[in-house]
Amino acid sequence: MSRRPQQIRRLIQALQRLETEISYGFTHLPDALDIIARQTAEPLAGIFREMAAGLAVMSGHSVKEVWQSAVIGGWKKTSMKDAEKEILLQIGFTLGLTGREDQVKHLRLGIRQLQAEEELAREEQQRYEKMWKSLGLLAGALVVILIY
Amino acid sequence: MEDSVLMILPFSLQRILRNLPDEIDAKLEEIRIRENRPLEVVYRGAYRFLTGQGRPVVQPSLAYRPTREDCVKLLELLTDHSVYSFEEQMRSGYITVQGGHRIGLAGRTAVENGKVKIFKEISGFNVRIAREVRGAGDAVLPYLLDLPSLQLHHTLIVSPPQQGKTTLVRDLARLISYGDLQLSSGGRMAGRKVGIVDERSEIAACIKGVPRFDLGPRTDVLDGCPKAEGMMMMVRSLSPEVIVADEIGRPEDAEAIREALHAGVRLIATAHGTGLEDLSRRPILRELIRERIFSRYVVLGGKFGAGTLEAVYDGMGRRLTADLCAVPAGGEPPC
Repeated sequence: MSRRPQQIRRLIQALQRLETEISYGFTHLPDALDIIARQTAEPLAGIFREMAAGLAVMSGHSVKEVWQSAVIGGWKKTSMKDAEKEILLQIGFTLGLTGREDQVKHLRLGIRQLQAEEELAREEQQRYEKMWKSLGLLAGALVVILIY
Repeated sequence: MEDSVLMILPFSLQRILRNLPDEIDAKLEEIRIRENRPLEVVYRGAYRFLTGQGRPVVQPSLAYRPTREDCVKLLELLTDHSVYSFEEQMRSGYITVQGGHRIGLAGRTAVENGKVKIFKEISGFNVRIAREVRGAGDAVLPYLLDLPSLQLHHTLIVSPPQQGKTTLVRDLARLISYGDLQLSSGGRMAGRKVGIVDERSEIAACIKGVPRFDLGPRTDVLDGCPKAEGMMMMVRSLSPEVIVADEIGRPEDAEAIREALHAGVRLIATAHGTGLEDLSRRPILRELIRERIFSRYVVLGGKFGAGTLEAVYDGMGRRLTADLCAVPAGGEPPC
């Protein structure tokens, strides 16, 4: 339960690194994804690694195809939900196909949307924690009553 | 066909070009891919269209027509899925890929303040195949050396586009860097420190900063660096004995050249043109000629085939090669 907000945060950080590689380093996408895979924890690292491999020279696949297949294939191993998946898939539609300004715009949009999801995820997590705390208190009270 | 060319093509076009007959493949100069128009190959001055099976034909009506999807895929592969990384080059109308091949772009541009901002639609590609021709410089280099002192003359190589300037200058850099030339006087020329300012990544075809072509053991390359700035950077920190710069012609280039020569560097440069007269009609180059900056002019042309040496002149415009003697690059003089 607590892993979802944490993974969304990691995903946001990975995309921010991607934005830096693109806008400052002009790093080619396959290399940028490789760098990010090495700097991210599993299970996200696995998804980025698969993307980098899919775009390797002579594979002839488009970014859109490779991105989709890696995200959909690796999503089960994460604790994230459909909302985040959709945002991430959307990014794959324009990645690498337009100039710097446009790339940064799309990445920042995705990051903002993910930040909103992260907020919601944390609130949800807090609600659950409160609920479990209350339940624990009640269960404890129940045990005390039963003993007497 | 070289891997470095095949790997930038989408599968649909790869399949067709793999079937290219050997005679055309060996002399291939350009692959022209135009959306919804016949696929064309240009080789040694001739051209053919290719059918879906890769058969060369003369009638365009029989040819395979690259689809929009082919072109979109092609652009993605050319840019290694990273269009943002090639914006600067694309604004100048081309993309240089691994292997040194230059892909000219055609299509619709978006203009801002009277200059090209980006390409809105790219619907035509001209894949110019780069080749390393070792020995292209053998016949020319002797003319460029001042024999008693073994100093290199400041040299300007002139030719129309596609006639082998870059191939020649690449080989000259290699020969000068290796040195070890047996001279007719009986001596040996030592290798010189060569610095190449490869603004368009065509001379050295660097991949991640490392040249793909053999440019000699004492050569440094500034890849993708603007010529004028690059020459200054080289002089300041790489202590070159010879600087090589491709396609000079802008005011900044002339300034940088004068600076570099003050520093005692020998220069080999190239310029577009059909000959000395043509050059002297252009303001910047005219100045450089008048200042007697260059003491050797090498004119290449297509009269006897691409990349043929037409003449070598000295700084005063006097012809040094025999009349009507065409020396094919890397070949035997026929006269």
